[in-house]
Amino acid sequence: MLEIKEIYKSFNRNVALDDISFQVSEGEILGLLGPNGAGKTTLIRTINRIIEPDGGTIRLNGDLLSERHLSMMGYLPEERGLYKNMTVYEHAALLGRLRGMTKNEVNEKINFWLEKFEIVEWKNKRIEELSKGMAQKIQFICTVLHDPKLLIMDEPLSGFDPLNVELIIHELKELRKEGKTILLSTHNMRSVEEICDRVVLIHRSRKILEGSVSEIRYSHKKGIYGVRFKGNMIAFVNALWTGFELVEKEILSDDRFEVRLLMRGDNTFDDLLKTLIGQVRIEAAWEVLPSMQDIFVELVTDRKEANDE
Amino acid sequence: MNKIWLLARRELRERIGSGGFLFLSISGPILILLFGYLLFTYGGEGKQHWNVLIADPTGIMENKILAKEDVRISYSFADGYIEMEEFRDAKQFQNFDALVEINEKVLSNKTAFVFFRTKPSVRMQTTLQFQVERRIEEVMIKRFTKLSVREFRKIKQPLNVAFRDVNDPFDEASDMRAWAGFFFGLVIFIFILLFGMTILRSISSEKSNRIVEVLLSTVNPRELLAAKLIGIGLSAFIQFAIWVCVTVLGLYFMRAYMFPDMFDPSNSLLLRDSGSLVEYNEYLDLVFNRLQLSVILPFFLLFFVGGYLFYGALFAAVGASTGSENDGQQFVIPIILFLSSSVFAAYFCLSNPESQLSAWAHYLPFTSPASAMVKLFQGYAPGEGYKIWISLLILYISAVLALLLAARIYKNGILQFGHRLKLSHILKWFSRS
Repeated sequence: MLEIKEIYKSFNRNVALDDISFQVSEGEILGLLGPNGAGKTTLIRTINRIIEPDGGTIRLNGDLLSERHLSMMGYLPEERGLYKNMTVYEHAALLGRLRGMTKNEVNEKINFWLEKFEIVEWKNKRIEELSKGMAQKIQFICTVLHDPKLLIMDEPLSGFDPLNVELIIHELKELRKEGKTILLSTHNMRSVEEICDRVVLIHRSRKILEGSVSEIRYSHKKGIYGVRFKGNMIAFVNALWTGFELVEKEILSDDRFEVRLLMRGDNTFDDLLKTLIGQVRIEAAWEVLPSMQDIFVELVTDRKEANDE
Repeated sequence: MNKIWLLARRELRERIGSGGFLFLSISGPILILLFGYLLFTYGGEGKQHWNVLIADPTGIMENKILAKEDVRISYSFADGYIEMEEFRDAKQFQNFDALVEINEKVLSNKTAFVFFRTKPSVRMQTTLQFQVERRIEEVMIKRFTKLSVREFRKIKQPLNVAFRDVNDPFDEASDMRAWAGFFFGLVIFIFILLFGMTILRSISSEKSNRIVEVLLSTVNPRELLAAKLIGIGLSAFIQFAIWVCVTVLGLYFMRAYMFPDMFDPSNSLLLRDSGSLVEYNEYLDLVFNRLQLSVILPFFLLFFVGGYLFYGALFAAVGASTGSENDGQQFVIPIILFLSSSVFAAYFCLSNPESQLSAWAHYLPFTSPASAMVKLFQGYAPGEGYKIWISLLILYISAVLALLLAARIYKNGILQFGHRLKLSHILKWFSRS
């Protein structure tokens, strides 16, 4: 669906994007991750044709991205605004018409989304009368109003309360089910794990990681396993001996514990289970995969340290 | 084009929907009409009341002039000769504003001299002339005819003899017309300033509330800038059209109901059966008879549009460069100074129409919108009418260049937020492709 190839962009002597390449398949949600100042917003603006790249190409469905593709795209910028003295309907209608919708289509779609979000009564309210959260919802509606095939969203969850975060995540999943392609820039790692099929991590203008969420988490595992058991903690520690290292423990009750263990040497999960069976009553045991948050922090910190050295 | 129109229409609706637009639409023409009314009513007047001494050594006027006293002129009579210097300097004559000398030859040479201290208004001159002339007329009727005054005036018919300069049949070179040109230039200045500042505020407001990024994902910066200029320009045009309509209607109303006598052809000799005086008012004559609006309005609109585009582009460039809504004031001041210079230049053209500086002001795009209007009203010498077209051409070429400059700065500066604007920013964004 979207192919980004060797994109390079600099502002005077500051390189903002350096040889960025990746693809987003149809019906996929791709998370664009990176610390502040990494170049995510510049890349997103480049894809939206707001900024011209100095080098590289962007293709949509195999064609070089051009103005005619803009009506197929929906963009929710991070710093988003609305015309405060317009009504919800007027504002949505303006953006819909700018994206090529007819008046009838605009009416139909506005009613559809307002009903879906159960906010029909807001239709003729002026934007300045809305709370921040309400305005965010209207911005989301304006982005999806023209039924775009490609959605580009910069921090779509920021500013929402937990209930509305769930609502937006649900809508994003629904849009994916309908076959929409979504490029999502966010710092909300929980949402990345929950809804992103793949992620691209950009740091200091360069892509440093790309892959599916599960692949990345699996590839960054550290050989840590979790065990929840009932029994004596001293007996448990004695059983581990030198083959396993206790990394973390949590006391659930007087005789119930949950621990994190690091494998030493060539020990496997099977060896761990064999060692523990008979010593304590195992309630659950699993391989611990690092969270996207951990991977993000690790990669960004490593790079920072390497660069500092 | 459709997108530009959609955005321009939004801009237009926002401007027209604002309370300020309605206020300005009503208050502007009302102020103009009020100003016009004051000019028409009092424009011709200097001192409101005159003391006039009539020196009539031969007693021709028999120490009387009017059947009843006039509120504007009080007459006194002297039965001896009074020299001009004596009247000027002598203490006993200092209370008199004018001396009318009626010598013994007045009945044959039909000439009376009026010596004044400060120049009387046209209205005062016509009143004085009318009253003295009527008294002499009565004396002559009595001396040389067997008719009564009433019978004489019945057979006397007024004839309007209009004098026209063969090189300037419409009296285009008069100062009064040039002042009218200055007024039109001033209107251009006011509109450009008001709506130029509107462009600046609108752009910096869109920047600060971040809507601009959403818009830029659907239209390119040049289209956005064009929509802004068109939308605000249309609102300025509509405002101006309202001003013209209300003002023309008001003037028509004044002509029909407030100053009907001024346009009655039988009043041209300032005489009526009742013996009252219908005074000439040059402002009234200028507005209703001598301004060729069919020629002036198209040029006014051309200079208005050209000036708006030229200055509007500069305001837009500053608006797009600002880091916040309150930023950029220091860069607005030079634009306003240039804009104000157009008014000063127009005033200079008014006073020194033939000077070299006036010629430059007439061609320079910063000053031409106002100066060219003055020049247009003053009139071009035969064969030099092409100069106004050159002035227009320069203005429009400059407007295109200013728009290109603004578009480049707009494109590169519109997504820059939070900085404090410096000249280096503008230069950097201009040099960037």
